[in-house]
Amino acid sequence: MIAIQREDVDIGRLIDEAKACGTGAVVVFDGIVRDDNITEMELEAYGEVAVPELGKIAADASAKFRLLHVDIVHRIGRLAVGENILVIVVSAGHRDEAYAGSRYIIEEIKKGVPIWKKELTKDGGRWVPGEHRHGKGK
Amino acid sequence: MSIRVRFFARFRELLGNEVIAEPSSPGTSLSGLVRQIAQKNKEGYAAIFDEKGAFREFVIVMRNAKRVDTSEADRVTVADGDEIAVFPPVAGG
Repeated sequence: MIAIQREDVDIGRLIDEAKACGTGAVVVFDGIVRDDNITEMELEAYGEVAVPELGKIAADASAKFRLLHVDIVHRIGRLAVGENILVIVVSAGHRDEAYAGSRYIIEEIKKGVPIWKKELTKDGGRWVPGEHRHGKGK
Repeated sequence: MSIRVRFFARFRELLGNEVIAEPSSPGTSLSGLVRQIAQKNKEGYAAIFDEKGAFREFVIVMRNAKRVDTSEADRVTVADGDEIAVFPPVAGG
């Protein structure tokens, strides 16, 4: 499942579905709205570009780390502290591949998928600065 | 000729979700079109362009879902039906 959506994610169901034939390990990454003195977090995405890019990252990770199953679900809209932002579920034959594949996926998402976060506070809000500054088409 | 220009995140707050632009002359450059639209809001313009009118180093521009090298955007001409997206560095995850 590759999706950008407002609704929450049933992580238990994703884990069940990730147990493909030959699975020896499932790794779940669950990114959560942290309480950094904020009231809520607002997320937006350029969905027409972000979803295909998530799909490409999943395919690359599957090939590179011999993953058997990949789910990436990124949420948008207004989320409260403690809510799920991003859920990545991967399965592989062995834990090394599963851990490495999961880590690869989150780092690639942070590098280039067009999604943004704004931390809302009592005094207004602040956009979370991107970690990768890359304006020249790279 | 009709071109959809979309803004995201902070740029969207300053310049709006999208503009359907109708450049009068063929051969309008991508940067020229975005400059023209951004001029409606001083803060929005300053967020995207430097004093010389060039895209700021961190600004990301896409044309039909493909990244454009902003240092070459003066030489890229827009065409009917194009979708241009302009946004700051991404921060998903």
